[in-house]
Amino acid sequence: MSKIKNFYRYLNTTIVMIFLCAITFLVIYPLVYTVSGALSPGRTMATLNIVPFANGITFEHYTYLFTTTPYWSWFRNTFVIAISTSAMTILVASMGAYVFSRFRFPVKKQMLMALLVLQIFPSFVGMVAIYVILLRIGGLDTLWGLVLIYVAGNVPYNVWLVKSYMDTIPRALDEAARIDGASHFRTFSTIILPVAKPIITFLAIVSFTAPWMDFIFPKLVLRSADKQTLAIGLFNFVTDRKNEFSNFTAGALLVAIPFVIFFIITQNILVTSMSGSAVKE
Amino acid sequence: MSTVGILASDGSNRQKVVLTATLFMGLAHIIYFRQYLKGAIYALLEVIFIIFIPTIVRRISSLIILGEPQPDLPIMQRDNSMFMLIDGVITIIIIAIFFVIYYLSVKDATHEYHDYCINHGEYKSNRSSFANLLGKAFPVVGLAPSIGLVVFFVLVPLLFSAAVAFTNYASPGHIPPGNTVDWVGSENFTSLFGGSSEWTSAFIRVAIWTLTWATAATVTCYFGGLLMAVVLHESKILIKPFFRTIFILPYAVPAVVSMLVWQNLLNGTFGIINRTLIEIGVMSTPIPWLSDASLVKFVVVAINLWAGFPYFMLLSMGTMTAISADVYEAAKIDGASKFQVFRRISLPLVLYQTMPLIIMSFTHNVNNFGAIFFLTGGGPTAADSTTSGAGATDILVTWIYKLTINLQQYKYAAVIAVLIFVVLAPFAIWNFSRTKSYREGEL
Repeated sequence: MSKIKNFYRYLNTTIVMIFLCAITFLVIYPLVYTVSGALSPGRTMATLNIVPFANGITFEHYTYLFTTTPYWSWFRNTFVIAISTSAMTILVASMGAYVFSRFRFPVKKQMLMALLVLQIFPSFVGMVAIYVILLRIGGLDTLWGLVLIYVAGNVPYNVWLVKSYMDTIPRALDEAARIDGASHFRTFSTIILPVAKPIITFLAIVSFTAPWMDFIFPKLVLRSADKQTLAIGLFNFVTDRKNEFSNFTAGALLVAIPFVIFFIITQNILVTSMSGSAVKE
Repeated sequence: MSTVGILASDGSNRQKVVLTATLFMGLAHIIYFRQYLKGAIYALLEVIFIIFIPTIVRRISSLIILGEPQPDLPIMQRDNSMFMLIDGVITIIIIAIFFVIYYLSVKDATHEYHDYCINHGEYKSNRSSFANLLGKAFPVVGLAPSIGLVVFFVLVPLLFSAAVAFTNYASPGHIPPGNTVDWVGSENFTSLFGGSSEWTSAFIRVAIWTLTWATAATVTCYFGGLLMAVVLHESKILIKPFFRTIFILPYAVPAVVSMLVWQNLLNGTFGIINRTLIEIGVMSTPIPWLSDASLVKFVVVAINLWAGFPYFMLLSMGTMTAISADVYEAAKIDGASKFQVFRRISLPLVLYQTMPLIIMSFTHNVNNFGAIFFLTGGGPTAADSTTSGAGATDILVTWIYKLTINLQQYKYAAVIAVLIFVVLAPFAIWNFSRTKSYREGEL
């Protein structure tokens, strides 16, 4: 009896192992070729050996990226955009969320509803209008113009996200501070913000990562060669006209690796925060 | 400190207060309630508005006419319809905001009168009123950046899009600053919904595919993620964290990168996948993964599953570990089998908890630009592609992108944008109506 049971358990484990290994293969498959493409000699997909790394390892694509292409400038621009977007998003969204969470004022409900409805609309749908607005305020072909678009486009969602979190912070906390004579701003910055740190961290991460790989708005806003971002630069390696798969993967890998490491470290925080606003309801 | 005011404190002067407050913003605050600062701010707003009335009128009339064609002038001096349209939209929003503030100031005056009556006709001291004003200024200051950004970069573009849907803004004949744009009523809507056979068939095709795609992408990712979560959660394998980490990778890699890599791997002629399959002798002719109009649809859903399942896997795992151990204990005591526990406890709880995210994921997939654009670029071409620009795998948003960037058919792009909005808004409102704060009436 127990022999049969043992056999079934063994069989079960084997099947699960085979299944997991099969999925692992599928998951890893393109990633292996990404790394292989970045480090193999030859520029195009066609010259890439079907056995990963079979043609030896070279760093020529990195030499090419850093000497011939303005990779460093793309990286710097993107970094500036990402950092500014992140900082401005935190400032704007946390203040807005605090007001929505703690104050009663006329048309509040309508405003929240409007934010929610606006949030589903991908902001590039109105790109012609955004282009004209930037043209009028002199924001075309500037990094700050791009930052404004990113911050504004995500304000509706982010305000909701942070507001939902702040709603769970007991009001007694800030009311006590108010009774002690703290101003609204003090209450906000010394009481609420520290407690809301998890969601602020999440917001900082998400708004920092998003601009790295956005493609549409840099293409719309940035014109001059010295203002291009990583996504544009990398995408141009693999257009219809030319296929420099190796240079593309080499450049992409430099961005993707920090992302992957970061995600693996913070996976638990990210998922909790991400599902938090929806699941808790 | 306090003085008895000029109004009756029994509430009988309410109408008088409303009338005075309506007559000029802030007037009631100044003459009845001695709130000079607040009243002055209100009055200043109205003065500014009145000064700008000529500009407002000019902007609105430009919005109505959208400029006259001036072929004899150099291009940069001609009327630019798009500037007129956007200025008009902004002007309308400013007028709307002004009247909302006006309305609120009248309401505020009646509030003050209410307090005044309760205090038996005594004024609140100026100091408390000033502190009050500062307290009230915080929400205004706190909200101003959010609202300002949303108005100018989200709301104005949206209204602008909606307006463009009713104009003939399109290449080749109506592109400012060279030419002007005119209002054409619902012409674009009728030609998309039946008027022009090529545009109509393209629209129907893309709309159906968008819905099919969004449904398929959401369902596959959800159940794929759930399956992986269950297998990892229930199995007794020691290296579970290892697999879990591996399975997160697709989620961690930016979509642009992974989709472009897949595009190259799947390339019909020189892609690694076809070359490998031919090399090991599985087949002799390459499979047109991305160039066959029906096969490519399965391919995009499959690749999206690759990229999208980790999110739902992590989510479901999180929910499963959050289920109280007592529940399992009780089930075990009652003699439930492992499958029964899963079927009756884990699954319903996880489904219930993650259901709202399915809706969110669906709306996300309707707008999932990256998954389509970087993998297939919308291709391969379909029968109507030469006119419409829409390929076999183009969804509405990638089509909007192509209509805007490549074809300059802004009028059709705008119609589609309006349509997406009309279709998706109910989902958002439905999600909103389910939130805790809404149901508990906190708002």
